[in-house]
Amino acid sequence: MIRLDLNENPYSPPKEVIDEAKKGLSEVRRYCDPKYLEELRNLIEEYTKIPKDKIVVSPGSDIILREVIHEFSIDRKVIAVNPSFFPALECAKRHARKLVRFQLTPPEFRLNSEVLMQEIRDPSLIIIDNPNNPTGVEVLDRDLIIKILENTNSLLLVDEAYYEFSLKTSSGLINDFDNLAITRTLDKGFSLAGLRVGYLLAGEKFREGLSDFITFLPRPSVYAAITALKNRDYMRENVEKIIRERKRLMNELKELGIEAFPSSTNFILIRSDVVGLSGRLRSKGIAIKDLSREWIPGYYRISIGLPEENDLLLKSLKELLNKES
Amino acid sequence: MIRVGLIVNPIAGMGGSVGLKGTDGEAYKKAVELGAKPVSSIRVRDVFSLIRRKDILFFVAPGIMGEDYVKGTGFKYEIVGHVGEKTSAEDTKRIAKEMMEEKIDLLIFVGGDGTARDIADSIDLRIPVLAVPSGVKMFSSVFTLSPHAAANIIDSFNKETPLTEREVMDIDEDAFRENRLAARLYSYLRVPRIEPLLQASKEASSVGKSEEAQKREIADYIVENMENDFVYFLGPGTTVKAIADRIGVEKTLLGIDAVYNGRLIGKDLNEKGLLKIIDTYGKAEIIITPIGGNGFIFGRGSKQFTPKVLEKIGKENIIVVGTKAKVLKLECLRVDTGDADVDRMLSGPVKVVAGYKEEVIMEVRA
Repeated sequence: MIRLDLNENPYSPPKEVIDEAKKGLSEVRRYCDPKYLEELRNLIEEYTKIPKDKIVVSPGSDIILREVIHEFSIDRKVIAVNPSFFPALECAKRHARKLVRFQLTPPEFRLNSEVLMQEIRDPSLIIIDNPNNPTGVEVLDRDLIIKILENTNSLLLVDEAYYEFSLKTSSGLINDFDNLAITRTLDKGFSLAGLRVGYLLAGEKFREGLSDFITFLPRPSVYAAITALKNRDYMRENVEKIIRERKRLMNELKELGIEAFPSSTNFILIRSDVVGLSGRLRSKGIAIKDLSREWIPGYYRISIGLPEENDLLLKSLKELLNKES
Repeated sequence: MIRVGLIVNPIAGMGGSVGLKGTDGEAYKKAVELGAKPVSSIRVRDVFSLIRRKDILFFVAPGIMGEDYVKGTGFKYEIVGHVGEKTSAEDTKRIAKEMMEEKIDLLIFVGGDGTARDIADSIDLRIPVLAVPSGVKMFSSVFTLSPHAAANIIDSFNKETPLTEREVMDIDEDAFRENRLAARLYSYLRVPRIEPLLQASKEASSVGKSEEAQKREIADYIVENMENDFVYFLGPGTTVKAIADRIGVEKTLLGIDAVYNGRLIGKDLNEKGLLKIIDTYGKAEIIITPIGGNGFIFGRGSKQFTPKVLEKIGKENIIVVGTKAKVLKLECLRVDTGDADVDRMLSGPVKVVAGYKEEVIMEVRA
């Protein structure tokens, strides 16, 4: 099965990273030595330019996101957009005053900022992925982020899982606004999805609330992450290859007459009237993400694969479309 | 072995190719004179060619209403009922009832809105249906998207398949032929709710609980926040019915009822009745749910909420409710009240109550 449904990186990490993960495995009877975690935080500090006392490392960004939701949703309104795939949003309702979702709709998938500003008059925790998964759109621009942050009643968590592809970040605002936090991951750009290493860049308000969050990562994950962060050129090359493929795939999809939406990530959102598209591609050995369970029917998300995988996808799509007409 | 009924409306869809917008009543004769070809037979043969499972016992209407399409496919089948040379809506209604006596698990019908109404008249919510689209008018949200989708549902259907109610619409064909769209909510049918194949994924879904549980959550939240000395007009549909159930009053499924301090003060109200209550009590709120698939809140399912009533109530006194399974699948909510000013007043962002302490912000478009 060609997996184009989980936004994974189609390229392996460099050999040195695999070797370090193996080394970690050979030492698994031991907990990870704190000095390695310290080294990892130093490298994240160097990579993000955020002082390390504001960095919280986590086994995958999901875990720290969950922690943020549990800790900061109490007596607040939790605000998110649909579609998005945050864990524990549903559980937030237990402690939150209310859970409010903004439905993003085509063709612009725009967040109604006027309504948002009205909503955050109450104490709020806003959780938004930027760029948004699965639309690929930058839901928040810098002006809106600043407007939100100037309202001291609100806490804003921006998930930048696709930062390595979009190269847009709000991290520069962390030092000025204590109510901002950003999650990132090494899953996507750094090709480490299977090792689950994420981190949070935390403004002061978040840092205080998370002071008892204990980071305990597996040895193989820590070793691999350290080496990956030392090999950033390799990551960049992969990311550039993926972006080139994204542009090619985008053009070819459009040539096939498929509606494809602009993206600054490693995936593309498409719309198609072909009934059961994902099931039919699956029977040809290709998995894409059907979004109709949580969103408007007819929309699908395709992760960028290796060039030959993308070729196969295009070929299968062409066959399906010919059959339909 | 599952027991599946099959009723085909052999003339559904014939009006389309000759520009007749339906084959109700006399229009059928005209369609034939104009050279219209049967559409249903192609649809139903497509479905049969795509079904993969073999453990089905079919109960079919005679001849061109069912039997002709299952014959020779290798499926076991029994014929139910009789029909004369010319088939009619009465045949559909009668045979659907007879099939119910055969204890079928699922009833497949092929047709359009008219056929859906006939089926709803006979079986209402007692048996799940699979509606294969073949008509000219298909404003009802019961229909599957295509024969391919229908075959997928048949393949995966079992007695535990979750079901959900969908709207059957009544379109005035004469008006429709004159390019006026006059529609009202006619009834409900229960359809299998089959989600796209669940993929192995770490991504959390925003939909979560079953649709019935979501309706109960909405009802709990709405009722807890209801104010005393305030009239609530409860619009049509099963989501709003769950609110009436929670209050403990009987709900007209397709009509509008009024409650005041937990008591029913008006049943199946029309415009006049609604206006009278507003005049008597001074203030009122509307609780309404969108029609699945197209998202209409006013102008399709609840004609009784006329522009005059809506103007008196005001946008701020309209509470929209809908399960996440329904509203998150909509691009927007829609209104078409027939009055452009009222449509404009209703347009713009609105909060939809989608669960307990849960809202979705959506756009209303005219």
